Amino acid sequence: MELQECKARAGPREFGPHDDLPREYREAATRMIQFHANSEIMGAYLERPFIRQSPSLDRKLAFSAKVQDEIGHGQLLYRAAESLGVKTREEMLDELANGEGKFLNCFHYPMTEWWETPMIAFFVDGAAMRRQATIKRTSWEPYAHAMDKICFEEGFHIKHGEHIMRELATGSRREQQLLQEAFEEWWPRILQFFGPTDDESTHHDFAAEVGLKTMSNDELRQAFLNAYLPKATEYGLEIPDEPRIREEDGRYVVEEDDLDWEEFWAVANNDYAGSHEQIDARASAHDAVAWVRATISGETA
Amino acid sequence: MIWEVFRQDEPGGYHTHCGNVHAPDREMALLFAEIQHARRKPTNSLWVVPQKEIASQTDETDRFGGTTDKTYRWVSAYNVDVEFAKEIEDSDREQRSVAGDSA
Amino acid sequence: MSSLSGPDVLSADERAAIEALVFPLADDEFVLAERYTEWQVRAPTLESDLALANVAQDELGHARLWYDVVADLGYDEPELLFERDPDAFYHASLCALPFETGDWADAVVRSYLYDTAEGLRLDSLAGSAYAPIANRIERITTEEEYHREHAATWIKRLCVDSEGRQTVQNAVDRLYPYALALFEPGEPTQTDVIESLGLRTESLPSLRGQWIQTTSTFFDSIDVSVPVVELPQGLPEDPGRHDPHVAAWLSLYDDFTRTYRELDRAHTPTITSEHNDG
Repeated sequence: MELQECKARAGPREFGPHDDLPREYREAATRMIQFHANSEIMGAYLERPFIRQSPSLDRKLAFSAKVQDEIGHGQLLYRAAESLGVKTREEMLDELANGEGKFLNCFHYPMTEWWETPMIAFFVDGAAMRRQATIKRTSWEPYAHAMDKICFEEGFHIKHGEHIMRELATGSRREQQLLQEAFEEWWPRILQFFGPTDDESTHHDFAAEVGLKTMSNDELRQAFLNAYLPKATEYGLEIPDEPRIREEDGRYVVEEDDLDWEEFWAVANNDYAGSHEQIDARASAHDAVAWVRATISGETA
Repeated sequence: MIWEVFRQDEPGGYHTHCGNVHAPDREMALLFAEIQHARRKPTNSLWVVPQKEIASQTDETDRFGGTTDKTYRWVSAYNVDVEFAKEIEDSDREQRSVAGDSA
Repeated sequence: MSSLSGPDVLSADERAAIEALVFPLADDEFVLAERYTEWQVRAPTLESDLALANVAQDELGHARLWYDVVADLGYDEPELLFERDPDAFYHASLCALPFETGDWADAVVRSYLYDTAEGLRLDSLAGSAYAPIANRIERITTEEEYHREHAATWIKRLCVDSEGRQTVQNAVDRLYPYALALFEPGEPTQTDVIESLGLRTESLPSLRGQWIQTTSTFFDSIDVSVPVVELPQGLPEDPGRHDPHVAAWLSLYDDFTRTYRELDRAHTPTITSEHNDG
């Protein structure tokens, strides 16, 4: 199929493994889905210590189930990416371990305290779910199918995150303060979740033209702020003065210059201090069990 | 030789099991499946799989989802509001519909 | 037939015997689950990650079922877990031993040894005179069967080549003496009462004998040798239960109680209001 035809036909769930798609499409789709899959793994990596550090048996079970779901989402997404025929799952997981694989900005930062967990489990997952719901209409059918299942499961994650946040927000004075501090630290990163404004986004245009993406970064950020900013306020969180956010004609406008884009691009290139820490930890976990993968695939002896 | 047949109604949908055919090889299995299982129902695509290659497990021998309390995996366990975000409402509704809201 | 129907009709002696029986069951499941969760996001493949995470959640669910039995005798979750002295836990050290990085053979061998013991132990409780114990067995057994099959299948899979077999052999050599201590009582002074009340219908040495036979037959069939351990002198110095725990237990304990302590909590949040479905 010529690229022109691909663009003309592009629509929800239009293309599958039996279509002879142009290389540009397959590479762009692989890049997008691989990024998404990597993010599931790295998000799970960030949350896994809180299975142990949960302050009750119920929370522990929920955190374990959530981390399990994220790995399950990674499994679905790598399969959807693999089916494009550009890279195998093994290659993608190797790339993640050796620092070539890219993933969401928020998962490059260390998370060490329980009161930080709603920042990922409510806000970041909420932002991710907002985006994922739009990907149900992506043009790569296996990706859309993965999204059906992921969106089905994900509701529990956000509710679990909100449940923890509500507990802290209605807890002791100190718990409320710690929650506010965590919010102030994470809020700018959360605002950067959807990347810079559209004109600075390198891959968006093509991805939109071939139907991989159905909403722009700006539209998604709007949709996120509309739902989640009032939520933060509802739980008594004070929105930091910076970055400045104005309301204009029912829209939230974020003063982009107030955000640290230098850091964002360092993160995007896996070049931030936290990036190294997270990737190295993931790499040693991945390498430590390479022998098992070799044994079960019959590559030894 | 028996081949299990999976049919997809329309582009973008799931291939779901719809029956089987006797056939000596995969080419003939496709030819037979096409007539037997796709001549009357709207069909976009068919898969055939050798029956002996299919391993199975049933809920009787291996209780899917476990036998002890796992309500923590379900939206219905968390009494926080979902109306602020449509995609969470959707997930909530989908989960409740399959779980029969047992939790 | 159950003769002790519920917590309200118990004498002090009966309560003590029930606690001595149930705490080791609960603590084994809880501590082993903590160790299993360490494999989350670190298992060899994504599929095996999901499976082991499920095993961990099953074990935590079983721990909760057992803790609920003692909760009905007047304990709350902080007392049972977050504020209990680490020396007052009754798990066998097999459950608390740390995993060496990447030692997947340890994970599956440990699961096989544990779940085989667990299956026998559950059978010996199915006819318990205390109804809240007896009526939990079926639900737990169904899940333990998956665990045992999962572990045995993995062990056989690892033994397809000599390197893999060696990792299994090393794990068996290291873990077997610890696994034998699974059949040690929580409170030795309560053993006679537990048996005379019919709380458990088989003795621990008898269960241990069956376990040795089952596990030996399995490992023989895949050319893995089982160490010969003289009892009791061959048991490790830190077997757990009423005897000393392994040193690594303390840091595990510190980690799982950390948030609770840092937030100065006095209660533990529940998600669902009703767990006690026993």
